[in-house]
Amino acid sequence: MDIGELILSTVRMATPILLVALAELYSERAGLVNIGLDGIMSFGALTGFMVCFLTGSPLLGIVAGACGGILVNMIYAYCTISLCAEQIVYGMAINIFAPAVASFIYRIYFGVSSTLAQGTLMKTVAIPVLKDIPFLGKLLFDQTPMVYFAYLMVIFTGIFFNKTKKGLNYKAVGEYPKAAETLGINVVRQKYVACIICGALAGIGGAYLTTCYVNTYSDGVVAGRGFIALSAVIFGRWSSGGVLLACLLFGFCDALQLRLQILSTSTPYQLFQMIPYVCTLVALAMFGIKKAGPKANGKPYLREER
Amino acid sequence: MKKVFALVLAAALSLSLAACGSGGSTPPAASGSGAAASGSASTATYKVAMVCDSSISDGGWGAACYNAMVDAAEDLGWETAYADSVAQSDYASSITSYCDLGYNMIFLPGNQYSDATVQVAKDYPDICFAVLNGAESLPTDNITSILPDADEIGYMAGALAGLMTKTNVLGFIGGMEIDTTKAKLAGYEAAAKAVNPDITVLSAYAGSFDDTAKGMELANGMISKKADVFFGDASAVDSGARQAIDTANGSGEIAIYDIGQPADLVPQNQNACLIGSVVTDNAGMLKLAMQDVEAGTFGNKTIYGSFENRCLSVGTFNDELVSAEMQTAYMGFIDQMSAGTFPG
Repeated sequence: MDIGELILSTVRMATPILLVALAELYSERAGLVNIGLDGIMSFGALTGFMVCFLTGSPLLGIVAGACGGILVNMIYAYCTISLCAEQIVYGMAINIFAPAVASFIYRIYFGVSSTLAQGTLMKTVAIPVLKDIPFLGKLLFDQTPMVYFAYLMVIFTGIFFNKTKKGLNYKAVGEYPKAAETLGINVVRQKYVACIICGALAGIGGAYLTTCYVNTYSDGVVAGRGFIALSAVIFGRWSSGGVLLACLLFGFCDALQLRLQILSTSTPYQLFQMIPYVCTLVALAMFGIKKAGPKANGKPYLREER
Repeated sequence: MKKVFALVLAAALSLSLAACGSGGSTPPAASGSGAAASGSASTATYKVAMVCDSSISDGGWGAACYNAMVDAAEDLGWETAYADSVAQSDYASSITSYCDLGYNMIFLPGNQYSDATVQVAKDYPDICFAVLNGAESLPTDNITSILPDADEIGYMAGALAGLMTKTNVLGFIGGMEIDTTKAKLAGYEAAAKAVNPDITVLSAYAGSFDDTAKGMELANGMISKKADVFFGDASAVDSGARQAIDTANGSGEIAIYDIGQPADLVPQNQNACLIGSVVTDNAGMLKLAMQDVEAGTFGNKTIYGSFENRCLSVGTFNDELVSAEMQTAYMGFIDQMSAGTFPG
């Protein structure tokens, strides 16, 4: 089996999950569990594709995907932050609402035809010096700019949450919002900021699928990646490095199972399709599932409450 | 203010839920001439509804079935409605709700709806149920199976692939391991090997009909194993595979090919790698079922779709890639197939 192809495929498959897992990380660090990632991604995938299709610019598509993601996530933000509603319920509502709206818009614009409309794909950009590293250079440094963006975001997020005052304040909102408020942090504003970042990154994750990965939009193109990202955050124990490893592991297993299927046609394919999930289970069991997340995660914050 | 806004949001969200449940309904194609031509002089208009688990805008199976229903209904002056992206647990309730709305016929595009159909059909003896790809044992007084010959579809694709391959390695990408897909794969392999015994067929399943990216990854994997003609049975996943093939061909000579289905894809000029298509005329078969409803002879039978009764046909060739001799040789195999001597 060609190892190079496998790594390339791993990077391709892990990137959208990584972007969305980082979105969730920003959300959960402010105490907001957002299970609506799949929905936000679908809407981002559609807006990204539409804008890319109409303007011919994948970059504008990505920007539009981010805006679309923010727009959808603001529904979640208003309901969970200002109205203190149950986060899981609204996350689920977004998962039902957003893909339906996306498919509605697609059908109104493109109609129902026997082929899918095709947009422009983002070109790969090689990084000058790094791409000349033997073997790995070609695999890791000859990708679309969005791949570099995702990996830079991992580094930035790690530094932001651990080394900057703003990042520590941000984390405090997710740990103990009342104490944070007494120290002069505007908890509600911080939570809204978290939702904007989450919406933008998840929207970009969706738009990546339709502007950098495949050049079409179809209902269900997200295919549960939002939920995998959600588990990657838990699996990565709420740190950006951990999330990266979790996403790469999942991407690798998925790329591997697709290749194994081709190599061994006679083996039932369902067996191979289990691999990514079995790996996740085994890894979770090995690393332990001790609660490591933000303490106030999932709890509505009511300022007047004692 | 806050409360009003919350109410508006709640209303919007619940509306989307309701929309998921009932789907959209298309107004009747008001073609007075069509209705008159079909001779349906009765005052009541016939109505047909489709319940589908995939999306109708998937550019593949869902779209083909929806268009078939609309085309057939337009010809006969029927009204149509559909519910798509219906989860398996909601098949029965979705079918029941159309029965309660007074639809004359329910169209179910796939074998996977058989159980739900049998369950509901017992309670609504006056309503006709047409199951596409339904088993031959399925029909009862108010259930008809519509069965395009999956073996023949596989043969038709396999013969072309067998003629066109240079590396003697073919690829097949399925969505899920359902009966019709398995039959298409078996037929594809049998026909290709009958044309050229040295051929090996690589096959894999995406485990989904929507995950375009998986189709792309699978095709990439097969290309690196030297596959140079592809056929698929996975709706939107197929378009991902075609994208990977086009990318692998690059701007140079087109050396890796794809065979499309169920619509005639070559004239649509979307993918340079398409060499031909195996076309299934679902509308024609559905129309036969609808005429049975009008005539009151519905039920207890299977409507077969084969090359012989023109429900399967050879699509447009890509003349730049498939030479005239190749096309003649291919049509020779097709003639043998309809005579029952191919693939033997």
